[in-house]
Amino acid sequence: MRLLPFEYAVRNLGRSPLRLGISVLGSLLVVVLATSAYAFVRGMDRSLARSGSPNNVILLGAGSEESIERSEISSSVASHALASIPGIQTWSGQANVSPEIHAALGVSLEKSSEPIGQAVFRGVTSAAYSVHPQVRIIEGRTPSTGADELIVGQLASTRLGIASDLIAVGQTLWIDGRPFTIVGQFAAPNTVMNAELWIPLTSIQTLTRREGVSCVVLTLDEAEFADVDLFVKSRVDLELAAISETEYYEQLSAFYQPVKMMVWITAILIGAGGLLGGLNTMYAAFASRVREVGTLQSLGYPRRAIVINFLQESLLAAAAGAVIGSLICLLLLDGISIRFSMGAFGLMLDAPTIGFGIAAGLVLGFVGSIPPALRCLRLPIAEALKAN
Amino acid sequence: MIRIKFWPLVIKQVVRHRVRTLLTVAGVGIAMYLFVAIQAMQKGVAEATQASAADTTLVVYREDRFCPFTSRLPEYYLPKIKAIDGVESAVPIRVVVNNCRASLDVVTFRGVPRDQFADTIGRDVEVQDGSLDAWKKRSDAALLGETLAARRGLKTGDQFDAAGITAYVAGILASDHAQDQNVAYVHLDFLQQQTDKKLGTVTQFNVKVDDPSKLDAVSAEIDALFASAEQPTTTRSEKAFVAQVAGDMIELIGFTRYLGWGCLVAVLALVGNAIVLSVQDRIKEHAILQTLGYPSSLIGRLIVTEAVVLGTVGGLVGAGAALLTIRLTRMSFSVDGLSIPIDAGPLLLATGLLLSVALGVFAGLVPAIQAARRPIVTCFRAI
Repeated sequence: MRLLPFEYAVRNLGRSPLRLGISVLGSLLVVVLATSAYAFVRGMDRSLARSGSPNNVILLGAGSEESIERSEISSSVASHALASIPGIQTWSGQANVSPEIHAALGVSLEKSSEPIGQAVFRGVTSAAYSVHPQVRIIEGRTPSTGADELIVGQLASTRLGIASDLIAVGQTLWIDGRPFTIVGQFAAPNTVMNAELWIPLTSIQTLTRREGVSCVVLTLDEAEFADVDLFVKSRVDLELAAISETEYYEQLSAFYQPVKMMVWITAILIGAGGLLGGLNTMYAAFASRVREVGTLQSLGYPRRAIVINFLQESLLAAAAGAVIGSLICLLLLDGISIRFSMGAFGLMLDAPTIGFGIAAGLVLGFVGSIPPALRCLRLPIAEALKAN
Repeated sequence: MIRIKFWPLVIKQVVRHRVRTLLTVAGVGIAMYLFVAIQAMQKGVAEATQASAADTTLVVYREDRFCPFTSRLPEYYLPKIKAIDGVESAVPIRVVVNNCRASLDVVTFRGVPRDQFADTIGRDVEVQDGSLDAWKKRSDAALLGETLAARRGLKTGDQFDAAGITAYVAGILASDHAQDQNVAYVHLDFLQQQTDKKLGTVTQFNVKVDDPSKLDAVSAEIDALFASAEQPTTTRSEKAFVAQVAGDMIELIGFTRYLGWGCLVAVLALVGNAIVLSVQDRIKEHAILQTLGYPSSLIGRLIVTEAVVLGTVGGLVGAGAALLTIRLTRMSFSVDGLSIPIDAGPLLLATGLLLSVALGVFAGLVPAIQAARRPIVTCFRAI
């Protein structure tokens, strides 16, 4: 098949700067939105997917499987589980059994001031650091039991909506009128823990006036989930439920599904609006070139070659918009963390996300040019040559 | 703007380029759909958080707590609160949600003493289906807000599970209050036994004052009363409470306002683009019209009317579809057991339509002025 030279498509782009501008802008808009939506959803999914370890099992109150914060179980569950379930992983002689309290509490920067917001606290013992290996202390040290100390995650400031230096190591946070010194900062990249504040279990028990705990997290070694399940079923008096940590966060991800759907629907609707505007422009652009198409056909170029040329033209404009849109996303969105519902997560702006955005822009260029190009080629050559 | 006899001319222009008209109307429809949906969310936030002079409800919550899982107040605070001057009534409420996190399909249980419901919360709600007596008789009975019932497809006589609680639907209630539309009211003791396995602890007290001007004084007195108690309290007006607890969500919804403005710009661009393209195609036609004696101002008005028709039809389709979606899905944002309804009424539809008309006029103005100012000779030469 005899194709039109690529330069022909490139030169045609410059014929109407206004139309080129509209096409590039439409593609740019779609790419920015598609990339933002994908980065949001992937960032949220990643933070939930990486929060769970496949070998970890959570013991929590029966009926509270949807939310650890709602659960309350006896403090003795940890020792019962350790004694009854053989094959729990150990680290330096200590069993990986972590009793924890998860609670959202108000935090103030000064003694008598209004809370700046609520942060997610996790009351832990030393076992938590081996049960959740994603957590690494990057500054300072772990809080001492009995002292009013805590450590903060990298995104805790985002969660609280304050500057990071206000909760730097050495600063003080007030909880329930009690001062707590920040003695360390931890990183648990791309997990929900990254936006949490960790505090000794006994301190949070005192703060919340609770005797029990929210859950016990176990790391299995030789033991299997069935062993934990058997323990739960044999100790009916403890009113427990067992759920693998991965499954728990999958459920949480499903809980956010309507929010994610809403983000997608908004992006798709705006994309569709952009596509319709683009189609309108392309129809007008190609319709004014009916005579040119007739001439090309009479010169011996087959219809398919002309469609390919129109496609190249449209894809070039869309690609230009896609590249600019991706650059804007990289400049504006990279490194941004979103404060959302008892946590915070970073937008995921990696190669697949950028690739998705560019693909969306190119699809727009492709879909937006085919119907007008085909319509333009409908006329017989003789009529096309007579067209105004 | 133009006389009736010229309307067929405008309609003919709109129908002549069916594809262009359809694409434009669809584009405007999508933009207006989003705009109305966003405005519905903003309206929900305003309804749930903006205080009015008639507000008389205070919420007593555990100090420095925002989540119903961590606010635990002793039920014995009730007589002390009731004894405060200016308090008309007070009701202890235990709140249980399937998840404290924010989403669109959260079930909130509110446990209220069965004997106090009718005289407190019951005064602001209307039991539409089922009955209050049926609710009182059965320990696991629930009165469902109409939004929750519609969203979950529940009717009187059904049983449903949520947040680890199985309840029987004794009735469906309607209310103007945002917080009553998305909840299941159950007996306080039932909820306490289901969740705490013991009685005596509640999440909050809802206090009615006898005079709106006493809100601040009563809230200060309640907090002072329990300042050194085992569980100190923070008392705020119900709407201020929602504004503080759901701050993140409100911030996020507030941010969508910009998206709404973006939608209006998109409508302007879509209609403007279609009209510019349409005018470019018809330069010769305008020259003929001018030769036939049509004044240039009339040509301009014909173009503006065409833009208005496109904007109005698109606006009607988009705003109507948004209203229908919102009414059918009955969605509401929930966070920490509090609801921010997504609600749209005829007023929002009218606003959407008016904006579409206005944007149509605006989008058609520039091409209309250009076409009207172009001399006949230039028009003929432009072909």
